[in-house]
Amino acid sequence: MKILVLMSLVVCLPMLVLAQSNSSKSRKLFPYDYTIDDLPNGLRLVTVPTDYPNLVALYIVVQAGSRNEVEAGKTGFAHFFEHIMFRGSENYTADQREAIFKRAGAETNANTSDDRTVYHATFSKDDLDEIMKMEADRFQRLKYALPEFQTESLAVKGEYDKNSANPFRQLFERLRETAFKKHTYSHTTMGFIKDIEAMPTQYEYSLEFFRRFYRPEYTTVVLVGDVTRAHALDLTRKYLGEWKRGNYVANIPAEPAQTGPLTSHIDWPSPTLPIVAIAFRGPAYSDVAKDKMALDLLAQVAFGQNSELYQKLVLKEQKVDTLGTSFSDQVDPELFTVIARIKDPKDVDYVRQQILATYKRYTTELIPQAKLDATRSRLRYGFAMTMDSSAAIATTLAQFIALRRTPETIDKLASVMDAITAEDVRAMAKKYFRDESRTIVTLATKASEATDATEEGKQ
Amino acid sequence: MRRLIISLLFTFALLSPIAALAITPKPMTTKIQSTLLPNRSPLVTFRIIFMTGAASDPAGKEGVAALTSAMLSQGGTKTMTYEQIVEAMYPIATSFDSQIDKEMTVFTGTTHSDNLDKYYGLVNQMLLDPGFRTDDFTRLKTDAINFLKVSLRQSNDEELGKEVLYNVIYNGHAYGHHNIGTISSLEKLTLDDVRNFYKANYTQTNMVLGLAGGYPKELPDKVKADFAKLPAGQPAKGKYETPKLAPGMQVSIVKRETRATALSLGFPINVTRADKDWPALAVVASWFGQHRSSNSYLYQQLREARGLNYGDYAYIEYFPRGMFQFTPDPNQGRTSQIFQIWIRPVVPENGHFTLRAALYEYDKLVRDGMSKEAFEATREFLTKYNNILTQTQDAQLGYALDSLYYNIPDYVPYMRTQLAKLTLDDVNNAIRKHLKSDAMRIAIITKDAEGLRNAILNNKPSPITYNSPKPKAITDEDKVIENYKLTVKPDAVVIVPVEKLFE
Repeated sequence: MKILVLMSLVVCLPMLVLAQSNSSKSRKLFPYDYTIDDLPNGLRLVTVPTDYPNLVALYIVVQAGSRNEVEAGKTGFAHFFEHIMFRGSENYTADQREAIFKRAGAETNANTSDDRTVYHATFSKDDLDEIMKMEADRFQRLKYALPEFQTESLAVKGEYDKNSANPFRQLFERLRETAFKKHTYSHTTMGFIKDIEAMPTQYEYSLEFFRRFYRPEYTTVVLVGDVTRAHALDLTRKYLGEWKRGNYVANIPAEPAQTGPLTSHIDWPSPTLPIVAIAFRGPAYSDVAKDKMALDLLAQVAFGQNSELYQKLVLKEQKVDTLGTSFSDQVDPELFTVIARIKDPKDVDYVRQQILATYKRYTTELIPQAKLDATRSRLRYGFAMTMDSSAAIATTLAQFIALRRTPETIDKLASVMDAITAEDVRAMAKKYFRDESRTIVTLATKASEATDATEEGKQ
Repeated sequence: MRRLIISLLFTFALLSPIAALAITPKPMTTKIQSTLLPNRSPLVTFRIIFMTGAASDPAGKEGVAALTSAMLSQGGTKTMTYEQIVEAMYPIATSFDSQIDKEMTVFTGTTHSDNLDKYYGLVNQMLLDPGFRTDDFTRLKTDAINFLKVSLRQSNDEELGKEVLYNVIYNGHAYGHHNIGTISSLEKLTLDDVRNFYKANYTQTNMVLGLAGGYPKELPDKVKADFAKLPAGQPAKGKYETPKLAPGMQVSIVKRETRATALSLGFPINVTRADKDWPALAVVASWFGQHRSSNSYLYQQLREARGLNYGDYAYIEYFPRGMFQFTPDPNQGRTSQIFQIWIRPVVPENGHFTLRAALYEYDKLVRDGMSKEAFEATREFLTKYNNILTQTQDAQLGYALDSLYYNIPDYVPYMRTQLAKLTLDDVNNAIRKHLKSDAMRIAIITKDAEGLRNAILNNKPSPITYNSPKPKAITDEDKVIENYKLTVKPDAVVIVPVEKLFE
């Protein structure tokens, strides 16, 4: 449970807020006052006082995730390591940790994704001191024995197993493996099963992993809620001020340009509806360049719920029951993926052609200005409405902290969005949606297993 | 939007919108109840409940309640197509979703107050002037059938196990079919069935208006006046008996091509949030298996100590979609609930051992009850944790509406008071009174169904091996568990091919 691997299933509905009208345009996308304090050891504290009473959300963001898994055979390790962080530290056994969190009535967990690992807890402000002290201990003085390490590896395997029933999971795993050859995005955060099965033998490596990445220069403490900067800074200095800076930098291989279209197919062992994913190599997150934001807008316009394609395939022709995009904000260039689940196997080719034609269409056609404006409005309101509690604000913020270590990036991103024109969108579509950088993965029931799922209503 | 797939697979979500907020301050004679939580937030949250649901599906029309709610939330109105509704909601980034359960159907959405007039106008039309178009009907009926056939049967063994358990326990009861219906019934449903269901169930008497946030003070009366257009209606049936199950353990093994083995166990209880023993049972369930929390006792025993799986939890209320969320969705009030243990998938070789371990721990709970330390720590936990459960205005509104349904005071202060009064004796008496059952029902999803059935019936030893040394306390306990005797008659272990479920 700690450990929700954040999979980038479908669409990362990007991130922007508040309306298009002149009055609302002046509102900040991230509307809360915040402070940033940098400690000499490289640790950063971001404090966001809110009006939500009594509770505080403590989010500790480590800028290391499955992207940092550069060595062969180590896929899934960042996520596994996140589990290990719950196994005790020098001054607190795992049981003592549980008891303290329990007494605090805390909601606590952690999650790992490509670029980050986030440890979080939400609880009464009265418990902040004790919890900061305890959290600081595990980040500096993690301590676990080999048997616990080995037992935890089984829980990770259990996580893989429970996920494995879902065909979308497998599709994303194959898509990354096919599209990336060098870069570590070639594996999911969960990792390959063969590496998960080998985790019990990696105890020494886990110590090394901790030494490399669990360092102040990789870490940002985010405190949101009923808290003051002075108190937050005081506790951070007191408990994390002595944390030693490290010097490791992962050498993450750049992905070379793709030289031709790629395809792959998964034979699914039990009845399912066929799924097709069509991806192009896209850009990384940026709060300066227009590339990523332009394509975020296009994702909505071309493939979102009120796009022409959605209305055609899902509502009018009713050939598809799920249509969405996956295009997360990532440190390194990410795939722009459209995914569709098709009701009848005979329509798979048709749906693939329709999606491809839509990609192509926007390389030459301008999106209407009204649609562009409506999409900006949607992204702004959508972003604003994600932030309805201190924990929700911290959750949203953590994603950006992992990318740029400051909430300021959110408002810079909003400026980029406001500056984008229909011509920009077309230019980016043309730049990225090229046949040679395309990957298509399909999934369907193995021929011998194809029984009732696709034989709608015939029995 | 990761939520897109999730919502498509597991709920029936939707979108929509239009009308104007003309203020109509005329006196009202409405039967519509309301729960109002005004505040200064820039957001306005709607939760509009109709006291109807899958338990009101007429015999042979299973699924019509769910399909009706989907037609309202994901279909067009008299004057707008669904495409137009989506288009109208697009720039304001909102939606209007429905959630169906046995006795409640809730329509929910949040809008920025900038867009309240536009949003309410849409919501109003969607609920009061549904279009009931054939193309929407065909799409949503197919979605419902594919949900059961593909998403539930074939993509999520955990949810599947839980739903099978409910179907087994409530067999022959108004709760006895999945909320989305049955495949054979859905295939036969017509648009007239939906129209008839709407007419009979979407009434003023059945409606409860929930509003929270920074809305104008005239809004509640305006909504009530508008919804007075609905027929007055008769009160819903309101009360469903808790089933009395035949004594003895019964096991349903669902045979499916899958890597792992998922288990759910449980039996009905005579306690809901309305009963005085509920806070005591809430403490027990939290201690034994707080949802997705590592402080759960079961989690500590099965996952932390033994590494059997990803997590192990216990419940006294229905909690669907738990693999996707940490807190339950409100507004699934029921007059009958079950006690449930959820064991997340284990490797098939450990299936029999894990089943025994779960039953061993359950028997121990019933025999020994809770210790004083566990009781006090859990009481403290829940007293504070309830503030976290209700940290958004949407959750506050949802809990307030549920308190109205169960006829209890405002949930958080009520629980604080009840928990403060509670004693260890109260809790252990509640365990003896409500959690002692000789009618355990078990649902298992696995590939080698025959092998597992054979092992269970013959009480074959199920020794376990680990990849690391274990403390003696664990290995000693394992010796008991691996031979733990399950008394179950041969005809009480049935194998069900997955293709036969929800037919």
